[in-house]
Amino acid sequence: MLRIARVIVLLAVIVALLPAPSSSAQDKVTIRITTWAGVEEAAELQLIIDEVNASQDTFQIIHEPKPADYYTVLQTALAGGVGPDLMWLDQDHMPWAWEGVLLDISEFLANDERAVADPDDYFPGVWQTVALSDGVYGLPWIAQPVVLFYNKGIFDEMGVAYPTPDWTWDEFRAAAVALTNEAHYGFTLNGWPPPYIWIWGNGGDIVSADLTQAPVDDPAVVEAVQFYADMIYNVECCPSQETIAEEGFGEMFKAGRVAMFMGGAADDLDRVEGLDVAVSAVPKGNVTGENTTFAWIAATAINANTAYPEEAYEALVLLTEGIHHWKIVSPRISQANVEHLVASEPRKEANAADIIAAVPYMRGFTLFPGFSEFMGVLWGDYFNPAFSGEDAAEALAPDARILLEDVLASQ
Amino acid sequence: MQERGAPLLYVWNQGGQTMGDPGAFNSYYPTFLRYVGTALVLALIIYLTYKGLRKLGVKTEAATGFALITPWLVGRILLTAFPILLSFYLGFTEYNILWDRPRSLEDPLFNYKRALSIKIVTFDKDERVSIARLGQLGAAGPDVVRYRELDSFVIGDKRYVIAASDIYLLKAIWLTLRYAALSIPLGMAGALGVALLLNQRVKGVGYWRTLYYLPAVLPAAAVALLWFWLFAPNRGLINWALGPIYSLTGSEPLGWFTDKDLVLPSFVIMSLWGVFGANTVILLAGLKNIPPDLYEAASIDGAGTLVKFRRITIPMLSPTLFYTLIMGVIGALQLFTEQAFIPTDRADGWFVNWFLYNEAFNFGRMGYASAVGWLYAVLIIAVTLIVFRSSTAWVFYEGAREREPGGAKA
Repeated sequence: MLRIARVIVLLAVIVALLPAPSSSAQDKVTIRITTWAGVEEAAELQLIIDEVNASQDTFQIIHEPKPADYYTVLQTALAGGVGPDLMWLDQDHMPWAWEGVLLDISEFLANDERAVADPDDYFPGVWQTVALSDGVYGLPWIAQPVVLFYNKGIFDEMGVAYPTPDWTWDEFRAAAVALTNEAHYGFTLNGWPPPYIWIWGNGGDIVSADLTQAPVDDPAVVEAVQFYADMIYNVECCPSQETIAEEGFGEMFKAGRVAMFMGGAADDLDRVEGLDVAVSAVPKGNVTGENTTFAWIAATAINANTAYPEEAYEALVLLTEGIHHWKIVSPRISQANVEHLVASEPRKEANAADIIAAVPYMRGFTLFPGFSEFMGVLWGDYFNPAFSGEDAAEALAPDARILLEDVLASQ
Repeated sequence: MQERGAPLLYVWNQGGQTMGDPGAFNSYYPTFLRYVGTALVLALIIYLTYKGLRKLGVKTEAATGFALITPWLVGRILLTAFPILLSFYLGFTEYNILWDRPRSLEDPLFNYKRALSIKIVTFDKDERVSIARLGQLGAAGPDVVRYRELDSFVIGDKRYVIAASDIYLLKAIWLTLRYAALSIPLGMAGALGVALLLNQRVKGVGYWRTLYYLPAVLPAAAVALLWFWLFAPNRGLINWALGPIYSLTGSEPLGWFTDKDLVLPSFVIMSLWGVFGANTVILLAGLKNIPPDLYEAASIDGAGTLVKFRRITIPMLSPTLFYTLIMGVIGALQLFTEQAFIPTDRADGWFVNWFLYNEAFNFGRMGYASAVGWLYAVLIIAVTLIVFRSSTAWVFYEGAREREPGGAKA
């Protein structure tokens, strides 16, 4: 027995004497970044990380991609105290700032002269997703406006004129019906594209500016929701839910089964072999008269509990600058031009001008504490029942408003 | 040569070439230390347990036994017992797992009240049921919780609306209970049938037994996806097979997981997959345990196949059936994996465990999810106890023959 005790003590001593890992990175701090990048995306991001790592000698960024169950994994890691220093968050998850897990970088930004750290260089509709309460909780690295991809072949076959940014929503709907026959549908919806495009374009919003009201029973909102509900799964213009479930949503467009598809500007829908696809801005909002559209926004944020806030901030800035030359569309005003877009993504050259034209009219969500619950109610008690034909938008709106304002009042 | 200050593990580098990626090792190093540290601590606990027990005069054999199970015991306490107890505490708090610590509730029972409050509100028959009229949950808590319509019935010119503070939970419980009530009897009958077939003396029975057990070794996730495809509305095998019926009746193909009325049947049909698997093997073992002389004696007395099945097979197999029933009840009430791969609508297609998972991780209400978890555990225990109670009426234990009525006597 004494021998066993000796062995245990000896092992403990050996481990205690193991020198800390430091060989090549002797004085470098390790900054871990977690993203949802898949294999290809991670390989591309690694090139940027390698460049950043080579450019300075105070820290070393290590990429830990988690492509599956991203937010559950990330949340659990943060809760367990082993969260990364940097993390990608889409705008829906930026309200984590109110849970105290994200670092406020406003002081760092105030002392930073670099363009990537200049709030004024970001589109206001994008910056609002990181500038929350009195702080700034990350730097946006992408703002993809939703644009209209259309299959020119189907338009030519059916003798319908190509979409233009001057289209109204009624003209759009008429075209979708005219483009539908047994072989293909005019348009497709399944909750995507986001209904906010119609709501905002109609001059409405889901939450008031002072965050106390949810005017979803406003005629502007009701009309927009009903317009969406009238098109979704309606086989006069669009595939049924079952057809989408089977054939795949975006896949149907790629297979030439859908004439028009609203996707993020970076989507690969315009480089499908055998399809002649062009891009247009979404139709004009009925009230705004502009091509108001939704922006899919994501930011990189710093863990509030990082052991190295200064190095993490430096890594964030360098990495974000690198990503702005890789991902499209860059959320910065100074980079919203065809040259920059094509330099970042040469495969988008043909449609670059149309994508850039959509950029000024994009916006993200107005965020607030309880945002995810708010969205849960909005979809569960308003959009979903309206879209599945359970009830008319007008009938659902009053109860939805009460429930949504409960959420706002709870915060 | 090893660099100064490099970790010892780099010693095995060859000809100056470090094996692998040093960066990767650097980031793995803390994890490595934790692993080694855990092993050392466990070893120390084993050693101290042994020493302590020996000091107390416990025999060598017993002390060794206890010492050797301590790693498992430590795991149980830290990884199972502690979370269970913690969740009990969390049930009385408001907690988002992103927070450092749970927040106390003004009304500690808020989560439980939120889960269970039900009331009946009267409306005029043709009046629209407005949410404002149903009212709010009285308990003081972090959220405003409103009563929602669960169901309603009309008597005379009045509509009685059953309103609950969490209709999604009650719907999930109701769906899960119905799922258990349908899938367990069907599954057990099927498993018994297959076991009876496999109990026949036919050529190559070993081959058949292996074949019928095969589904049980497939990962649940793969099976769920397989069924998702089988049930696909337009191109799935099931609707294809039903095609002639659809054309005869002129009806649309069934939307198995998308139609809210078909969610339950879809999951029940899917559960029959479990017929072939562990239950069949267990029942087959039970069948093999029935002494052949019972059948022989019955045959001499002129009993037919059906009588032998009813009077010998079922009673002699009842302890095994009882076991599979208990495991079936617990398993059916805990359905999760399949649903994680097959999206269904929250209002009509969520089972309890999926509801719990979403409350905890997607809606940020770990406190509420913990409370619901405990309520549900109580429900499962209650159902299991009822099944246990029923066993005296139909489970036959051979040993019990010896006992006097009213319990065994010395």
